[in-house]
Amino acid sequence: MTIQSLDPRVSRLGLTSLQNDDAEQATVNQFPTFQVFTQKKEDKPFEHGGIVHAPNIEMALIFAKEQYSRRFTCSGLAVAATTSVKTTDVSENKEDIYNLIQEPAVSSSEKEPYEIFHLNKRGKQTVYAGSVEAGSFEEAAWEAKKAFQNDKPVYNLWLIRRNDILFIDEEDKDIWATLGDKKYRDALDYKATDKIKAFKEEQNR
Amino acid sequence: MYGGGNTFEAPKQNEMQAEDPQKLAEFEARIERGEKIEPSDWMPALYRKQLIRMIEQHAHSEIIGALPEGTWITRAPGFRRKLALMAKVQDEVGHAQLLYSAAETLGKSREDMLSDLISGKSKYSNIFNYPAFTWADTAVIAWLVDAGAIVNQLANSRGSYAPYSRALERICAEESFHLKYGHHAVIHLATGTPTQRKMVQEALNRWWAPLMHFFGPPDKMSVHTEVLMKWKVKMATNDDMRQQFLDMYVPKIWELGLTIPDENLRKNEETGKWDYTEPDWEEFKRVINGDGPLNKERLAVRRIAEERGRWVRNALLKSEANYVTPLA
Ligand SMILES: [Fe+2]
Ligand SMILES: [Fe+2]
Repeated sequence: MTIQSLDPRVSRLGLTSLQNDDAEQATVNQFPTFQVFTQKKEDKPFEHGGIVHAPNIEMALIFAKEQYSRRFTCSGLAVAATTSVKTTDVSENKEDIYNLIQEPAVSSSEKEPYEIFHLNKRGKQTVYAGSVEAGSFEEAAWEAKKAFQNDKPVYNLWLIRRNDILFIDEEDKDIWATLGDKKYRDALDYKATDKIKAFKEEQNR
Repeated sequence: MYGGGNTFEAPKQNEMQAEDPQKLAEFEARIERGEKIEPSDWMPALYRKQLIRMIEQHAHSEIIGALPEGTWITRAPGFRRKLALMAKVQDEVGHAQLLYSAAETLGKSREDMLSDLISGKSKYSNIFNYPAFTWADTAVIAWLVDAGAIVNQLANSRGSYAPYSRALERICAEESFHLKYGHHAVIHLATGTPTQRKMVQEALNRWWAPLMHFFGPPDKMSVHTEVLMKWKVKMATNDDMRQQFLDMYVPKIWELGLTIPDENLRKNEETGKWDYTEPDWEEFKRVINGDGPLNKERLAVRRIAEERGRWVRNALLKSEANYVTPLA
């Protein structure tokens, strides 16, 4: 069966022939990836949401807004280049990854803030734990161990220099102001039982 | 939305021989305990390969699946339906992004996946090679194709690969809106004027065979996927998912006074399962291999988007920015 196209891009604009004659597919390099963190409510910790591809960190924040805070309540958004995130291994057999972290031999005098994230269960999202002051990733891991280790095992640590993270500005947070108005995207907004009932009654009459 | 089913290649006998038996045993024990596999964990090459294949096909299906509905946005009846349809199509493209990201953690770049889609090397759900002739077709798609996708995605979200499960958790939450929206649109037509009823009945007649194809060939015809089920890559058999779909939706179709174009369709009281006429599996094979009503157009439209956006991407590319595999 051949049919006339129903796609206006094809039927009206006639953008292209349907044959693939584009022999030289340009080898486009990848945009780098950015890890995205969202905060659902003011009193909730930031959580890893996923990644975006973007040419730079400012664009990453804009893409992240569309991709990760389009549908649900959001009160904070942050992105960091994947290459700027240091991770430990994922620990085996419920062992606390902090047990494998040792005190660094030298301690630096120049310190800066590092943000620390925990994977508390395999398959869940990595969640913000808090920040520490340190001069290197090794030191940050050690400081995190002192500050955040408790009796619950942590499977995987992510460490990011705060300077490598771009947070959404306080005054830009009105991008989420209209979220609640878009009721047509909620399953709850589609009630139909009354209509079905009325229809059935009509049929049985 | 997505059609699962027959997207697996039969694992070859020798594919497992190169694996370290001790690591393999630990890996299988972890899955057995119900723990998820994170991207940096050791995994058999076959697990990686089949997961890339499955998640990539799922991502392609979201993108291509947005096309039949997307073309109806401009013609949707009324402002409210337009808004809802736009939001749904946007969700679907967002699903593709989430899924490409999950597949990327396994080592295949998004760019390579998109090229393989356009060149026809990788597949997407067969159902999107059929046309949406009328508004009622889009209502049937939103209700029943998304319903099928939900059966499939809920099963897969209990699978073993952590990034895929995380993506699906979010996707399933958004799908519930698609399903309700679609059901609402179908009810509106089915309880409307005779013309509207006729329109929705005809759309259902057109989509029934593709819906039956949606979960893939019957188990007795399918490739052996025991190892994939043991590794929790494939979570339910094609027939089980099809039965689940029929169980949930046939009564809902019938209660609207609509008929299903299969006179053998009925619940068998003895087996507790649905009896039905096998759909034409030769047609399924033919369409999946490229010879459906719309295969060429779907890929052409995707290629146009790729070509027309290329200059933007090239202009933004910086050679010093290098790509690494994302974390999770
Ligand atoms: Fe959907
Ligand atoms: Fe979807």
